[in-house]
Amino acid sequence: MVILKYLLLIFLIMTAFLAINFKEVLVSIIFLSIFSIILTTLYLIHNAPDVALAEAVIGAGLNTAIFMSVISQVREGKNSIFREDD
Amino acid sequence: MSRTKHVITVIVLSLLGVTMLVALNKIPNQFEYANSISQHIVNNAVKETGSLNFVTAILYDYRAYDSLGESTIIFGAVSGIVLLLSRKTLPVSSHGLSFIVKRTFGMLTPFIFLFSIYIITHGHLSPGGGFQGGVILGAISIIFSIVYGSEFDYKRYTPTTKTLLETGGALLFIGLGFLGILFGGNFLMNMRFLNMGEGSLISAGSIPFINTVIGFKIGAGLAIIFYSMIQKTFKEGVDL
Amino acid sequence: MINNFVFVALFLLGFYAILVKKNLIKMVIGLNIMEGAIFYWFITLTDRGGTIPIVNSSQVVTNLNDPIPQALILTGIVIGASTSSFLLTLIIELNKFTSSTNPDQLGGMIED
Repeated sequence: MVILKYLLLIFLIMTAFLAINFKEVLVSIIFLSIFSIILTTLYLIHNAPDVALAEAVIGAGLNTAIFMSVISQVREGKNSIFREDD
Repeated sequence: MSRTKHVITVIVLSLLGVTMLVALNKIPNQFEYANSISQHIVNNAVKETGSLNFVTAILYDYRAYDSLGESTIIFGAVSGIVLLLSRKTLPVSSHGLSFIVKRTFGMLTPFIFLFSIYIITHGHLSPGGGFQGGVILGAISIIFSIVYGSEFDYKRYTPTTKTLLETGGALLFIGLGFLGILFGGNFLMNMRFLNMGEGSLISAGSIPFINTVIGFKIGAGLAIIFYSMIQKTFKEGVDL
Repeated sequence: MINNFVFVALFLLGFYAILVKKNLIKMVIGLNIMEGAIFYWFITLTDRGGTIPIVNSSQVVTNLNDPIPQALILTGIVIGASTSSFLLTLIIELNKFTSSTNPDQLGGMIED
């Protein structure tokens, strides 16, 4: 159980780092959803089932759906689609 | 942003990180639990409230006023979103996903509904409660919008129904609070009526009722949020 | 010890995303990462190695986990989600006027 917790913590930091460093916004949102799922498993390892249930339905279900519906209506920049200006 | 500003930001943030690490290491590892509030709740919660789940007992009996504040925040967010994004005409509906997905969700949706009602009503016996189950109820409306098209969601649950559920839920919550004053106690006091033994479904006073009311309120609120945010769907139109 | 380090790393990553990134949606993603880091650290701070705080009967069981922080964090998760959805609504409305998601191109409306 200790090895699983350390492995999941390493994945957590990697996912957060990748979520803010990709050029496309769609990929960042999928990494945010993965971040939420790993956080749910970590809550279960620390013996908190109510918080894990709330984070699973809200973080990985509702938040991702709302982000996806925003992307489909937002036009980004004048020249290119889904890229961020530097 | 130029390169120098990037480098300055990284240096300042790392200094902040070092300061936070030094400060956080001074927090002791073990706290004193002998005479604290947590020990009082763990010792006396089952006798005083009748619920076997301590987190539910804290959220809906000892700190029920905070749950009222949280419901008010969600009500404010829903009101703000509907105010900003309201429209006069209905959106152009989409065709939904393919035939296999529609058939599969036609068989799955009653079980999702049953699961959400189980989590809401058994909040005082197992992990769960009003908030978690209510979000699953809202997810059913999101499934209808994505899989079957927004026209199906508009005809099955009209926005009037969702508004009635949400405002009715908020008013019933306050009504349950005034019921406590009516019986001679404080606001939102847990009236220990309808007790059929510990560990059964009908126990713990007014906690299952508050759970049900909050569950419908949150489900309707989140369905309203998602319905207001999908404005432009696909081009092929279905006349409404 | 390692929980403190993970908390500081995630908090500063989210903060960096809010300060530096040039896309409004990336800022909201950074806010969500910061909130996730705070909630996780709060749970590990009060974990004393006990079992889950649900009992089977009315006997007093020792060595349960602390139930009070879990109730506070449950409220926090719901409030964080509703704040994020409101921020995204404001981004949709801004995009109708300026047709871009760059925070540097928002200032043109205030002149004259």
